[in-house]
Amino acid sequence: MKTFKIFGIAVVLIGTILAVTTVSCSAEQVATYKNKSGAQLWGENCIRCHNTPSPAAYNDTDWSTISLHMRVRANLTKDQAKKIFDFIKSAN
Amino acid sequence: MITKMKKLVLLGSLSLFVFGLNAQQNDFKSSKTQFMIRGYGHMGYESIKTNGKTESTFNGGTFAPIFLFKHSDRLMFETELEFTINEGSLDIGFEYADIMYVLNDYMTIRGGKFLLPFGTFMERLHPSWVNRMPTKPLGFGHDGIAPGSGVGVELRGAFRLGTSTVNYSVYNTNGPGLKTPDGIDPSEAGMLAFNNLRDNNNSRAFGGRIGILPFSNNSTEFGLSFYSTDKVGNTDSAYENLGANLYAIDFSFVKQIPGLGGIVDIKSQYNKSKVDNMIYTIEETPGVFENLNFNNESHSFYAQLSYRPTMSSNNFISKLELVNRYSELKTPEGSGWGTNKKEYSVGLNYWISWRSLIKLNYQNITGKGGHDVIGDFNESGVYLHWAIGF
Repeated sequence: MKTFKIFGIAVVLIGTILAVTTVSCSAEQVATYKNKSGAQLWGENCIRCHNTPSPAAYNDTDWSTISLHMRVRANLTKDQAKKIFDFIKSAN
Repeated sequence: MITKMKKLVLLGSLSLFVFGLNAQQNDFKSSKTQFMIRGYGHMGYESIKTNGKTESTFNGGTFAPIFLFKHSDRLMFETELEFTINEGSLDIGFEYADIMYVLNDYMTIRGGKFLLPFGTFMERLHPSWVNRMPTKPLGFGHDGIAPGSGVGVELRGAFRLGTSTVNYSVYNTNGPGLKTPDGIDPSEAGMLAFNNLRDNNNSRAFGGRIGILPFSNNSTEFGLSFYSTDKVGNTDSAYENLGANLYAIDFSFVKQIPGLGGIVDIKSQYNKSKVDNMIYTIEETPGVFENLNFNNESHSFYAQLSYRPTMSSNNFISKLELVNRYSELKTPEGSGWGTNKKEYSVGLNYWISWRSLIKLNYQNITGKGGHDVIGDFNESGVYLHWAIGF
């Protein structure tokens, strides 16, 4: 029983953090978040696991293959993946 | 006649020229179907002292090609093999092979053998050019308590909630098997065997993970994972109806902090595993039996902190990275595989490019028990690895 107490506490804690951050954000903050550029999302998301990739490392065709692979592997939203890889293709 | 021949030659040359131009243009036009090989590899040198005995060797290297076949903007096949040299012979690992289809903006379905999102280490962080350390933390990999991959189907996706991002995964796989006294290594009786390519008992495992990035800069992620099955033993065996429940809690924080002049990266994961208790009768020596009765509960934990001074004006210093890791593993006392170990590691990495690094690392593991070890265990090692992603 003790085994799953920690899990239960973690569920409540994470749920609370999510609820507080969701409820407390203003419409303006949401709009700013939604309007993030591909360059900003590239800088924020890729480094969650590895360094930000150089756009010159691959051509557009290869990046479109990588975009589908990474969208699924890194759990990116459709909007995040599109903006990040549109930016990379524009910069290579 | 000659004029006619000249015309024919000219026409033929023009045709070849136009055909050549067309072929050249086709060479540069990307096809809808795309195939790509990516992956990673590493090599290195290791000097490891275990309970007073030192062994040093060049590490023959690992080659892990990833094949990506993109059929359309929604459909893809991916597979990874892993070639490693282990104690002088070549081992070939079949890491994953799955088909994925994007159902809509929020759902992707995968089927086949895929990396399980049980925490984040095995799914996202284990490749040698991503892992800041040359080794895995205790609790992962060989003799680990966390599942790495499974055969089955998975539904996953991500969506925005206010200024937060939520990602999820639910899956149904063949589930783990159970090592028993009549298996290859009787001393491992009671240990879960995750490499279950065919279901051994018609009972699947159900699992999932939810990840939450609460802050708008996506710097922080909390994750909760579970993995559960009613049966782990083989059909019609005495162990068939033993169940197993596992869960993991993971945390990640990665951000460039101007006040510290660089990127701070914190990763952590806690794993817990509980298998229903059972008495395992082991034949210690021919004709001599021993009953192993233990509480089949295991846990492991790791925390890693790294810092890279990316904002340094010195080009050499900006490519350095300091990394520290602590990990621990505790498996059932009284079992043949019971252990209680702690690991402390410190390392200095040098990034040659965004996907290639040299790792110099000192690692110390102390504790009791483990594979082929009776009593105290003390291992310290120096690792020099060079890893590359491609």
